[in-house]
Amino acid sequence: MQMPMHAAFRTIAVMAAMLMAAAAHGAPDAASAQLLKSTSDHSKFKVLQQDFQSGPEVTKACLSCHTEAARQLQLTQHWKWEFLNPDGRRLGKKNVINNFCTSVASNYAYCTTCHIGYGWKDDQFDFTAQENVDCLICHDTTGNYRKPSGFAGNVVTRDTEFPPGSGKVVKALKLRPIAQEVAKTSRDNCGACHFFGGGGDGVKHGDLDSSLASPDKALDVHMDATGNNFACATCHMTEGHQVPGSRYAPTAVDKGGAHLRGKERTGNPTTCQSCHGQAPHKANLAKLNDHTDKVACQTCHIPAYARGGIATKMAWDWSTAGRMGPDGKPLVKTDAKGRVIYTAAKGHFVLAENVVPEYAWFNGKVTYTLLGDRIEKSDQPTRINHFEGSASDGKSTIWPVKVFRGKQAYDPVNQTLAVLHMAGNDDTAFWTNFNWEKAVAAGMASVGAPFSGQVDFVSTESMWPITHMVAPAQSALKCRDCHASDGRLEKVSGIYIPGRGSDHATWLDGIGWALAALALFGALAHGSGRIFVSRRRT
Amino acid sequence: MARVYIFKRFERFWHWAQAALVVALLLTGFEVHGSYRLLGWERAASLHTSAAWLLIGLWLFAIFWHFTTGEWKQYIPTTEKVFAMLKYYLVGIFSDAPHPFRVTRLSKHNPLQRLAYLLVKVCINPLIWVSGLLYLYYNELGATVFAGPGLGAIALVHTAAAFLMLAFLIAHAYLATTGHTPLAHVKAMITGWEDLDDEPAHEPTRSHT
Amino acid sequence: MTKTVSPACAVSLCLLGVALHAIGAHAADGDWKRGRVYYQKVCTDCHGAKAGGAIAPNSRSIKDWTAYLSADRHARGKDALKKYVSREYRASIKGVNKAAEKYADVPDEQLFNDIRSFMLKGAKDGDSPASCT
Repeated sequence: MQMPMHAAFRTIAVMAAMLMAAAAHGAPDAASAQLLKSTSDHSKFKVLQQDFQSGPEVTKACLSCHTEAARQLQLTQHWKWEFLNPDGRRLGKKNVINNFCTSVASNYAYCTTCHIGYGWKDDQFDFTAQENVDCLICHDTTGNYRKPSGFAGNVVTRDTEFPPGSGKVVKALKLRPIAQEVAKTSRDNCGACHFFGGGGDGVKHGDLDSSLASPDKALDVHMDATGNNFACATCHMTEGHQVPGSRYAPTAVDKGGAHLRGKERTGNPTTCQSCHGQAPHKANLAKLNDHTDKVACQTCHIPAYARGGIATKMAWDWSTAGRMGPDGKPLVKTDAKGRVIYTAAKGHFVLAENVVPEYAWFNGKVTYTLLGDRIEKSDQPTRINHFEGSASDGKSTIWPVKVFRGKQAYDPVNQTLAVLHMAGNDDTAFWTNFNWEKAVAAGMASVGAPFSGQVDFVSTESMWPITHMVAPAQSALKCRDCHASDGRLEKVSGIYIPGRGSDHATWLDGIGWALAALALFGALAHGSGRIFVSRRRT
Repeated sequence: MARVYIFKRFERFWHWAQAALVVALLLTGFEVHGSYRLLGWERAASLHTSAAWLLIGLWLFAIFWHFTTGEWKQYIPTTEKVFAMLKYYLVGIFSDAPHPFRVTRLSKHNPLQRLAYLLVKVCINPLIWVSGLLYLYYNELGATVFAGPGLGAIALVHTAAAFLMLAFLIAHAYLATTGHTPLAHVKAMITGWEDLDDEPAHEPTRSHT
Repeated sequence: MTKTVSPACAVSLCLLGVALHAIGAHAADGDWKRGRVYYQKVCTDCHGAKAGGAIAPNSRSIKDWTAYLSADRHARGKDALKKYVSREYRASIKGVNKAAEKYADVPDEQLFNDIRSFMLKGAKDGDSPASCT
C-alpha cells in the first residue's frame, strides 16, 4: 500500500462510519460489499506462502488440494491441441496448417507460449505429467502473469537474456503473489491467448481482441464491463475443466430451448439459443422469429467485427517476405495509421477494422486441407478449411464468417502444403536467415513429411466463424441490409430473399411491367383520341 | 336529366376502401419485391401485411354483403352486347354515339365490366390471397412442405397476380372517365347517384336473362 | 446511453512478451479491474478528445503516478481528482455514463483505490504497462 497518511486516516474513518451505519440499520450493507464470494482466501494457504521458482512448483501446490484438476485438464483440447474430426481426421492446433504462421510443428518453443502447460519445447513433450499443467494462465487475477514467447510455455523466474546474446532481458516474474490471488477465470485470462491468436492482437479471429477485456455495451452487449460483464465462461459454461464451444466442434443450428436451471442439460451451452430460446424477438417483431430457421442469430446481431479499435488481419502474403531495406536490415512498412503492413519476417498484410463479414451456409461440418493432402495451384484458392452447408440440406443456417486470404509456401512437386520452420535460434529458421528452402526443409523434416526441395506459393483461404462482439439490438442489421439487391446476402444462393433482384424471374417482371405499360399507353392513347374529337366537335 | 341510385352506401365504402388498400398494397408490394425504394423495406413490408389483413377483413364483409343482398348476381357474365360495348369503346365513343348500355339499379355493370370484375374476383384475387397467405405463413407451413425454391414459387405467383392487378387498376381508372362526362362515373361512385343522359328513359331492362 | 467511449482509447493490456518489473503491488490494494473500467469509461471519456489529450497509464512511471495521486491536483491544481471519483460526481453523470451508473454506490475511497491500482499496474514501469490503443 502506497497511500498517504491522510488518505489512510480517511479510509479508516469512512469504514468506521459505514460499520456504524450498518449496525444502526441492522443491515450488513458495507459487509456484503466486501464479501468474498469464494469460500477460500488463497493467500492464507500455507502451501502458497513460498517463493516458487517455477511454474510446475505452483501447479504441485495447487494439486495438493485440487486433486483432480490436472487429470481433467489433460482430457481437453486446451491441453492436447488435438481434435478428432467427425470425418476421422486429426485436427487441432498440433496438426493443422493454417494460413497465418502456418504450423506449430517445428516452432514449438514459440507457439506453446499459448499452451496451458509448461515446457512443450518439441515433439517429446510429456502429456501425462500433471505438474506440467499451467493453472495460473487461466486463474491469475492480478493480470501480471505471463509466459514470454520462446520459452516453450515456461514462466521466467530469474532475469534472463533472450535471445541469448541479444542484450535484451526478460525480467523475472514473482509467482507467489499471483498464486495467492487465484480465482475463477475472467475475460483477461482467456484473452491472454485467444485475443492474440495468429500472432498478435486481433490478428486471427476479428471478433476476439483485447478490446473485449473491458468492452462497452456498443462493442458487446454481454461482456459490457459497465453492464452484463459476462466472463467467457458465462457462455462457455465449464464443468470439470471441459470448456464447451470449440470452433472445431461447432453447433451451427441449435433447435433446443433455453437451458433452465434444474433441467438436465445436454446441448452446447454456448449457442445463443441456449439462453434466448427459439423465439427471442418480441411479438411486435415476430416476423424476425421466422428468420431463425435459415439465419444464424450472429448474422443480424454482429453487423461488423473488429469494432473495438483493433484491426484484424484480412490477408497475408508470405511470398513477399524476406525483403531488406536500403540499410540492409529487414524491411518494415507501416500504413498511414502507423500499423505494420509489411515485415521481412512475414510479408505483406491487409488490416481492417469494422469489417462486414462474408456469409455462408453452415451445417457445423468443417473440412480441412491437411499436410499430405494433394493441392493444386489454380484460380481457385486452396481451402485451408471450409464450412460445409447448403440451403437444401435442412441442417444449415446462414452464418457470418471471416474469410482470411493468404498466399503461403507449398511444395509444387509433391503438391502439398508446407510446414515452415519459422522461429528458432538456428540456421534453418526463416526468421533468422530468410531462406524458404531451408525453412521448409527443416519444417517438413520435423514432421517426417517428404519435401522435393522446391518452394512455391499458393493462394489459400480459411474461414472463421463470427460469433463474438454481439451488438445492441438497435445496431442489429435492418431488413434492407439483406432484402435488397447487392445486400449482405447477395452471394448466398439457394434461398429466395424477397427484395433481392437476382431472385426475380426476369421474364415475369418483363411481362408484368410491359402489361402495365400497355394498359397505361392504351389509356393515354384512347383518352387523347377522345379529347381530340371532342375539341373538334366544339 | 334522370338520376338513378345505383351504389348503396356499403358498396361505395367497400369500393373506395378497397381502392385505397389495393393502391397501398401495390406500392408497398413492389417495394418489398425490390422494384424501387420508397418507404424503406421494413415499413413497406409491415404496411403491406397490415393492409392485406384489412383488405381480407373488408372482403369478408363484402362477400357476406353480396350474398345477403343478392348483389352477387351483378357479376353473372353475359355475352349480350359485349361486342356492342367493344365497338362503342373502339369507335362510338369518338363519334359521340349513344352508349349501348343503360345502367339500372338491377344491372349496374355493362357486360364488359361484368366480365372484367368477374375475372378479378375469381382469378386475380384468389391468386393473390392464396399466394399471399402462403407467403405470410411460409414458416408455419414447415420448411419440408415448401423446401428450397418454395418461397420463390409462392412469390412468383404473388408477383404475377400483382402485375395483373396493376394492369386492371390502370384500365379501370381510365375507364372510369368514360361516362357522359369524364367525372360522371366517379361522382356516381361517391354519391351513389348516376346521372343518366337525356335519352328517353324507358323502364329499366334487365340486360341479362 | 448516448455517450460512448472512443474504442481507439480502450486501454488494453499488453498481455504477452512485455518486460516485467515486479514491484510487489498486491492486488488486495484495490480492484484493478473496476479501476480499469472507471478509468476507461469515465477518465478517458474526457481526456481522449478534450481535456489535454489521452492519458495512457504507461505514459508515466509508478513514481510519477504515486506523486500525482497523493498531491491530488487535477487539471494543474484547479480541482481535485477525488472530485471526479466522488459519489456526487458519479451521480451527476450517471444518466450519460454507464460506468458511473454501475459504480454509483461504491465508497469514494474504495473506488479511488481501485483506480490507483490500475494506474500503478499500468504505469510504464508497472507490472502490466497499459497503453491507449
